[in-house]
Amino acid sequence: MIEVKNLVRAFKSGDRTIKPVNDVSFELEQGTLASIVGKSGSGKSTLLSLLGALDKPTSGDVVVNGVSLAGMPDGKLTEYRRRDIGFVFQQFNLIPNLSALDNVMLPMEFAGMRKSARAQRARELLEQVQLDPDKHVRRINRLSGGEQQRVAIARALANEPKLILADEPTGNLDEQTGEHIIELLSSLSRDHNTTILVVTHDRSLANKTDRRFRLQQGKLTEEPARNRAAVPAAV
Amino acid sequence: MSVLARSVGNAFRNKVRTAAVVAVLAVAIGLALAMLVANQAVGAKVQELNASVGTVLTVNPAGGQGFEGGGEPLSSEQAATAAGVPNVTAVVGTKALRLRNAAEAAAQAAAGQAGGPGGGQGGPGGQSTTTLTTSLTAAVDAGTLGNRNQASEGTTGATGTTQPARTLPITATGIGAEVDSAGKALELTEGTGLGDYTADSTKALLGTTLAEKNNLKVGSTFTINSKTFTVAGLFDAGTTFGNNALYVTLPAAQTLAELPGELSTMIVTVNSMENVDSTKTALQAALGTDKADVTQGQRNLETAVSSLDSVKNISLVAFVAALGTAGLIILLIMVMLVRERRREIGVLKAIGAPNLTIGLQFVLEALVLVALGSVVGAAIASFASGGIASALVSSSTSTTTAATGQRGPGLAGAAGGFPGGVPGQGGPLGGASQLLTSVTASASPGVIAAGIAAVFGVAIIGALVPALLTARIRPIEVLRGE
Ligand SMILES: Nc1ncnc2c1ncn2[C@@H]1O[C@H](COP(=O)(O)OP(=O)(O)OP(=O)(O)O)[C@@H](O)[C@H]1O
Ligand SMILES: [Mg+2]
Repeated sequence: MIEVKNLVRAFKSGDRTIKPVNDVSFELEQGTLASIVGKSGSGKSTLLSLLGALDKPTSGDVVVNGVSLAGMPDGKLTEYRRRDIGFVFQQFNLIPNLSALDNVMLPMEFAGMRKSARAQRARELLEQVQLDPDKHVRRINRLSGGEQQRVAIARALANEPKLILADEPTGNLDEQTGEHIIELLSSLSRDHNTTILVVTHDRSLANKTDRRFRLQQGKLTEEPARNRAAVPAAV
Repeated sequence: MSVLARSVGNAFRNKVRTAAVVAVLAVAIGLALAMLVANQAVGAKVQELNASVGTVLTVNPAGGQGFEGGGEPLSSEQAATAAGVPNVTAVVGTKALRLRNAAEAAAQAAAGQAGGPGGGQGGPGGQSTTTLTTSLTAAVDAGTLGNRNQASEGTTGATGTTQPARTLPITATGIGAEVDSAGKALELTEGTGLGDYTADSTKALLGTTLAEKNNLKVGSTFTINSKTFTVAGLFDAGTTFGNNALYVTLPAAQTLAELPGELSTMIVTVNSMENVDSTKTALQAALGTDKADVTQGQRNLETAVSSLDSVKNISLVAFVAALGTAGLIILLIMVMLVRERRREIGVLKAIGAPNLTIGLQFVLEALVLVALGSVVGAAIASFASGGIASALVSSSTSTTTAATGQRGPGLAGAAGGFPGGVPGQGGPLGGASQLLTSVTASASPGVIAAGIAAVFGVAIIGALVPALLTARIRPIEVLRGE
């Protein structure tokens, strides 16, 4: 369960202050698959980085399973990112000189998992995101954008996080592979009770989520649930 | 993949740069090590010089040295006075005797060659000289120098028409401790010392060549003025002149000379190098300028030591500078690497790497670079250090020997006390120049380890500080870049 309370993130640009996240509040039950849509520059990535403890809010708080992130010391925040969060960056942010396998194993190494177990799980995850086995040991900077995106998704799943924050996870994928990733994410929320928040421009992806949010000029609004929106009123 | 594997991989991420960094580091580290080695070698030599002859003063009767000059002889009372001067740790009295081969002396006398008291060679005053006869034959045959010396120095000699072959006299010195006439410890090659040097005894120590010439071994006997002495031990003074000598206990020499309580010289040891000058003045004042001449045998040695000391300081400064340079290089490289990989640090942090893991990764990478630099640097140092050390030392030695050349004769007299026919008896000086020229650096493993450890220390700090500073920033700021 994640509670977001009056979250504000302000940036100073010159003598102007912009607030890409301006008094945002919402709650997500554990196991929910949710999406955020919004125009480019509307603050989606900013909101996600606040939830993933990559950034600190100007005001407001994020409470995860009853624990507040505000005032949490740096070491605890690192542990929170390592154990509870799987983050898929819009720009992937993989280590370019390491192989796909090594990149996926990194979070497990930090979590203290045994080396053989790490390699085993990393291989399984890369198979789940449909990366060709002969590309598992290839260096990241020799993979295509879509392949890198899938490695980034595999890395986010590595430590079986309770909350996955994915910024445009299908942005670089063809329709079929994108469908597969969506299927993978929804099965995680369904079968593993993982809470998933996806930022997307992809309507078909948004339409498959349990809850849909729209971010506009820093304000978050929820759209009607998909079964009501997608299906015309019955009876 | 572990932190270590990642660090090693990162160290070779840009191979050209890694090679350049390692090369520059190697030069700096090699230079630092060479300087440390040079510093140690010179330092050890300075210590050796100080320890051997650095703090000895020689007291001669006023106006006289060795068998030359005149004035009142030194006495046991003066030795006691000298011992009472502050900073004096030891006073050793000596009594020098000049021995002539009995048979030759008789032959010369028969040939009408009765010279001065020295049989054709004694000093004008003959203040503390006593010439006695012995059964021994000198180990040195009189060459041109010996003949000239003996002829010209005779007061009434050289009147005969034919001069039979001469041999040099033998020096017998009564010593109050197991030291030679310059105050250096005797180097016994065989047998034992004389035991109690303050008691009259019939034991004697012979120079190796003198013993050989006379077919004497430890336990053999010979006579001085018809008194029988037993060879207790053999010593090697390192010079031909020094080995044509023998030592008996001080009272034995005084008894032979029939001059109890009289001393030829006193060898005064001062507690430290720094106190030598002040003690010399105090000693001179205590004994009186009209009674005794106090000379400082190691004057030139002191210049040598101080010039060596400055070499030591220079090499230390150069060591610190080279080490500092190595430290600066690795520091700048690591700061640069951390800046370059800020984003990567942000990624590691964002996926949950503890700050220490990030710091460790960069420290290990720095250590890989320094380790490579050290290995290459140590190789450079092992080739360069011997050359550097001997270059440093020999340049300082050449100035020293120049100074020695000018003052040499006076000093030789002061130290050896014999204007005899054998050159090169420089007392402490001969030893000093020998030691100085032979200074060669040798790399001890401890020295190298200390130098490398210091560079590693700088590398650790140079990697850890910027990495931790970067890791402390919020990941998003680093990820967004500059
Ligand atoms: N560090 C910063 N300093 C100043 N302004 C910033 C900073 N970070 C983000 N912004 C601004 O905040 C706004 C929101 O940025 P954000 O990256 O959250 O947009 P987004 O919704 O993810 O857009 P996109 O769909 O293009 O990824 C943008 O106008 C951006 O310029
Ligand atoms: Mg974005």
